This record gives sequence, C-alpha cells and structure tokens, in this order.
Amino acid sequence: MKIPQQFFIFPVFCLAFLILSSNPGHIQAKEPTYLDTILQTAKKINLHNHTYWHTLIHYKKDLFGISSLIDDPNFFLACNGKTDPQAELLATIKSFFQESDDNKKHSMCRFIGRYYWIKEQLDIDPSQLPYPECERFEKILDQINPSSVSLIFPTSHINSPASMFGHTLLTIGTENNSKLLAHAINYAAFTDETFGPLFALKGLFGLYKGYYSILPYYSKLQEYRDVHHRDIWEYSLNFNKLEIRRLLMHIYELDSIFADYYFFDENCSYNLLFLLDAGRPSLNLTDQCGWWIIPLDSIRIIKLNNLVVEPAIYRPSKTTKINKISSLLSKKSQKMAMNISKGIMEPDLLKGMEFTIEEKRGICDLAAEHIQYQFTKKAISKEYYLDRFLKTLKIRSLFGETDANYYDIEAPPEPLKGHGSNLFSFGIGREHDLSFQEIRYRPAYHGLCDNDKGYKSGSQIIFANTVLRYYSSEKKITLENLDFIDILSLAPRNLFRPISWKIKTGLTRKPTLDGIDHSVFNLNPGGGLCYRNNFIGLFYFMAESDLNISGAFRKDFTAGIGGSIGLLKKPFEFWKLHLYIRDIYYGLGDQHNAVQATLLQNISLDTDMSLTIAISRFKDNDTYGTEAKLYWSTFF
Amino acid sequence: MKKSISIIIGSAFLVTLFICNPAMAVNKTNVGCGLGTLLWQDHDSVASQVLAVTTNGTFGNQTFGITSGTLECDKPQALVKNEKLNIFVSENMDNLAKNLAQGSGEYLDTLAVLMEIPIDDRQHFRGKLQQNFSIIYTSNEINHIDVINNIEDIFSNI
Repeated sequence: MKIPQQFFIFPVFCLAFLILSSNPGHIQAKEPTYLDTILQTAKKINLHNHTYWHTLIHYKKDLFGISSLIDDPNFFLACNGKTDPQAELLATIKSFFQESDDNKKHSMCRFIGRYYWIKEQLDIDPSQLPYPECERFEKILDQINPSSVSLIFPTSHINSPASMFGHTLLTIGTENNSKLLAHAINYAAFTDETFGPLFALKGLFGLYKGYYSILPYYSKLQEYRDVHHRDIWEYSLNFNKLEIRRLLMHIYELDSIFADYYFFDENCSYNLLFLLDAGRPSLNLTDQCGWWIIPLDSIRIIKLNNLVVEPAIYRPSKTTKINKISSLLSKKSQKMAMNISKGIMEPDLLKGMEFTIEEKRGICDLAAEHIQYQFTKKAISKEYYLDRFLKTLKIRSLFGETDANYYDIEAPPEPLKGHGSNLFSFGIGREHDLSFQEIRYRPAYHGLCDNDKGYKSGSQIIFANTVLRYYSSEKKITLENLDFIDILSLAPRNLFRPISWKIKTGLTRKPTLDGIDHSVFNLNPGGGLCYRNNFIGLFYFMAESDLNISGAFRKDFTAGIGGSIGLLKKPFEFWKLHLYIRDIYYGLGDQHNAVQATLLQNISLDTDMSLTIAISRFKDNDTYGTEAKLYWSTFF
Repeated sequence: MKKSISIIIGSAFLVTLFICNPAMAVNKTNVGCGLGTLLWQDHDSVASQVLAVTTNGTFGNQTFGITSGTLECDKPQALVKNEKLNIFVSENMDNLAKNLAQGSGEYLDTLAVLMEIPIDDRQHFRGKLQQNFSIIYTSNEINHIDVINNIEDIFSNI
C-alpha cells in the first residue's frame, strides 16, 4: 500500500501540538493571532462535541470512552486524535493555517469535509488561509458531475441463500443518465487470505483492514449480475446536490484510510452509513444499528429515515434473464439455442430454417446468453467462447431489433416488503405425555415455511435460532435448540441443473441410549435434487449425513448416513405446507436408527405475523414418539 | 467434550463467512483490451471471492477518468480524446457486442451517450450499428481500439 507523502509530516504536527499545549505562556508574549481567536471560539462553543464532528471522524462511545472506529493513524492530525475529539479538532484547525507549497497535499484538501464544515461553523475567513479551495477535488467533482445517489442491494446468489446477507454498495449517478457509468462506492476488507477458516477467524476479530473504493458500476454489475447471478435492487435516495457533495468530500477524506474490519458490526453495510451521515448532517444512521448489522437491515434503517424514493428498481440477474428468454420460446427453439451454444449446430444454418423472425431472434439471444454463462462458469475455453459468441451475434445482427419491452421481467416483491429479520415466537405443545411451553428467538433471517414475499422461495437461512422449552409438570427449563446455522436451498431443476443442499449445525436435544434427552452438538449436511410441479409443488430428495457429539453417548458420538424426501406446497398465498420423512442409519459410535415424519403448516396472518402447527412422529430404535406443537410468531 | 467445543467454535466461524461477505474481487488491473477478458472472474468458491482486493486508492483511478486509465492499450485515432469512451468500450467489449447485434440495450445506449449522439439520431445509430455488426467486431482477437475505429468509419462514410 502506498502511503501518501504528506503524512510523513504527521509527527511534526504532533510535536508542534505538544509543544504548544505544554507551553501556555506563549499567548501572553504576543497579540492573539487570527488562528488563536478561531481556536478560542472552537473551545468556547465546544465544537468538538458536535454530532457532525463525531460523524466525520467516526467517533463512537465504547467501554473506555470515546474512540474513532478508524484505525489508520494517517487519518488523525493529533497524536491522540483517535480518542480525543477536541485535540483532533484543534489540530485540524491549526493544520488549515499551515503553509504548504502543494495544494493537493495540504490538510484542507486532504480533509476537505472537515474543512468546509469547520469553516462554516467558525466562520473562518478564507482569505486568511494559504488555500481556500481544493483544486483537485473540484476538478474531480467536475468530472463526476454527480446528480444522484442510490443504494444497491444484490440479493442472493443463485442457489446460495446465505449470500442474501451479501453486500450493499452506493452508486453516484452522473448527469448524463447512464447508470452503467455511475460510480460504485464499496467498503471492503483488504485480504489475499484464501483459507476459509482463517479468513473467518481473522474477520471475526477485526484483523483485516477495510477500505472504501470506487469502481464503475458496470464492473460491479458484471460481478454480481453476470458472474454471481444475483438479482439486484436499486434504491434511489433523495439526496440533493449539496448532500452528494458532502458525501463525496467525506469519501475523499477516507481515500487510502483503513478501519479494522469486523464481520458482524463494522462491516460493509455499516460503513456505508457513515457516508450518508456525512452527506446529510441531520441523519444519524450509524447510531441506529444493533450489535450486528446485516445488509437488509441497513436498508430498513435507510428507509425508516425517509431516504428512499419509491419505487425501488429491479435489475434481473443473468440467470433470471436467461430463464425469461427461454420461457418465451417453444421447446424446439430452446433446443436449437442449446445446440448452437454447445456447438452441435452452426448458427449460420438458422438463416434457412422455418422459424418466425421472432423465434430466430430469441434463439440467437438465448444462445448468446448461454454461451456467456458457460464461459463465466469456466465450462468452456476462451477460444471456444469467442468463436461461438461472435458467430452467434453475427447471425443475430441479421434479424433486426426485438420489440421494446419484449424481454421485460416483472419485478418480484422487493426485499423490504418481506417480513423482518428478527423472529420471536411463543408456542405450546405436547411431547409424549408431557405438556410444554416454548419460546424462540431468531435474529436472522428466513425459514422455509415463512412467508416468501420479498424472499426467494425454497430457501432457508437461519442463524442463531434459540429455543427454550419449559415442561410444566417437571418444572424444568431446557435448551431445546441452538442452531448456529440452518441453511437449506431447494432449487428446482431447470436449464442450469442446480443441486439442492442443506447444512445445519448447532446444539439440539436428542435421546441417547439411556432413553433420556440430552443436549448434543449436531452437524447435518446434505445434498440432492428438487423438482417443481405446478400441481404438487416443490418436491425433493436429499442424501444426508448426521453427526452428533455428546458425553451422554456411550462412545461420545454417533454418526450416520441416510436421506430425506419432502414436499413443499403453497395451497394459498397465506398457507404453506412442508411434509418430510427422514431416515438415518447411525453406523459409527452409538449405533441406532432414527426415522422421523413431520408435517409443518404455516399460516401468515400478516407480513410480520404467523401461526405454525407442527406434528412429528419419530422412531428411535424401538422407541416411538409423537410431538405436536402450535406456535405464534412475530417478525420485527 | 473438548472436541465438541472446538467443533462448535469452528462452525461459528463458518457462519461468519456468510455475513456481509467482506472482500470482493475488485479492480483486476490486467484486464487486457480484447473480448472475453473481463467477463471471466474467479468465482469457484467463497474463498476465491476473497481474492484480489486492491488498494489502489479510492480516487485517482480510471473511474473518474482523471488519469489515462490503467489499461496498457493503444489509443484509437479518431476519438482519442474521449478517454471515458475508450475505457467503457474496452471494459465492456462482450456486453456491447451483444447489444450491437441485438440493436438495443443499455450498453448500446451508453455508447451513444459517450459518443454524444443526439437523442433523435439514436434509432438510426442503433440500426446502423446492428447492420454493420460484422464489420465492427471483425475477429475474435479484436480490441477496443478497432471497435471504436470501425464504428467511427461507419459513420464517417455516410
């Protein structure tokens, strides 16, 4: 990483500051200068306590007082600037008066957001300063010609519900109205770590440096829409020109500045909020977050603060588009397109075939998209790709223009219209002959049987699902479940032939050989196939393995393989059924066989309220059991 | 029991992989000038999404067109001054080709914006480019300079 040269003078600032502050006698020696008066005013009005100053320096309260979330020493002009807002403010003001022969490297330019705000607050006379204006910034602003800000939310990756947690970014739209040319602002961790667990570990403890970056929006589209196949939502924000200018000044200040990156709280979505706070001083979005923030919640916060201009704009992913083109073609034409894509047929031949011109266009369009898709999947070589792609396009160019809106895709309900990410539920039930009450809290995100509106149907991403159960007859509270993760992706087979999969891990209560339920650690991955039928709904079968670890097992663990079949049906918009049968043979550790049949029914009373009825019948070796429960849930 | 605790902790870390996937494949500088160079990206696994985040700095890169860009490519003759156009075409060769052949699309519209084609002339612009697709994208090895020059030629020969 390059360190801007001007920061080598940083220790000099600090030294000067220490000398000045340790020598109060210097003021008596001469008339107070203009700078002295300004500093006095700043102190008198306690400017350093101003909310906006705290926004600009990213100050937040922590256990030890106030501290900036920025960890890069280059961001501070006072040595103790990270923890002392006043010291940082005074050092900043002084730095504006320092002579320098380079405007670009001068503090007023380097910290331009601070400059304009302080100048306004203290009514500083620009003629007293060596540089009243930052030429480089103005030139850049001129080039960008900003006119709008949008928040961009790429939804889940195809067949990977967990990526819904994904990411948010901002775009700065330009005056020329081409969205592709907008500037995408990202906050991301800087790492070349490729070893997953180590990456996660480091991310958890803030061992990565996070930086803001700006790229053309078309690059991000290529990444999210074309390569990762994620549908994208664009939320236009009601920022005016001045607010956009402030936002850009702040990001300019943060150029090459890092903050330690924490997955849960100081992540991409959280750090974007600082930019919005800087843009509109009356906002205080960064104080409205919980102890962790997922991208969708950050959009909720933005919406609650009336920043969003309706309606949100939907941008379909490449796969969504391919499915659309394909759906408009006959089976024969679809086959023809695949033949072209796979090299079975030369696109040239299409010219003489008996298809309507619309069908011919569609065949070429589908083939071209599919060739690109295969290339991004690395399923074909670059040589093959180029050859097929250009040959297909050449033929396509003979067939004229498709009618406007022909391929338009109706937007699904937007993510914010769906239920909240937190869930609390209360339930009653009966297990064997015992009655119980249950409470459940789940901070994220979406269950298979929850209302799909705004979410991908057939997907489940559950995190930290915690269930406490109280048996009234035994006056005993037990931890029924603590699911760290419980992810399920049921992706119906189509052109792309996706594999459905699941992974579940956490603590759960299971009967051990002594016949009593114990809390055990459970890991349960699986994979299989899913099909959609308009009449019966989604049906799937999956091969699974299951590992349970607990001291209560004779051999401390039990592991087995087996499978499940299930059916997911939505008879009405408000009513969902999930029926599944699961059979696992535990051959390692404590040996046994467990079979379970469950019927779950979920009735949506409202977007954020539902009623669930679950009935299970299970057999563990020779013990049979039944459990039935009814619970009421609210999302928030 | 120790074992199970370590597994629990392990899976908790696994969880974090899904949250706000913090590193994005960004700004590959060796993009080249031809077709099929940008479209391909590492995306095999979660781990590979973590790759390749550069800290070129927020400002001062090609985004704002204030430098000559990071591309080590020659410049086209006629529209040489239009740096934004050069960069746009070179980085969107594939999607632009598709739009050109289809006679419509966002990439084609952006090309028209960058070439400052008046709105009233755009219908004609699109049609002309579609008809001449095979003399714009002439070969598999074509680069963005040739594409821009070929487009330029089509309109100067009217």
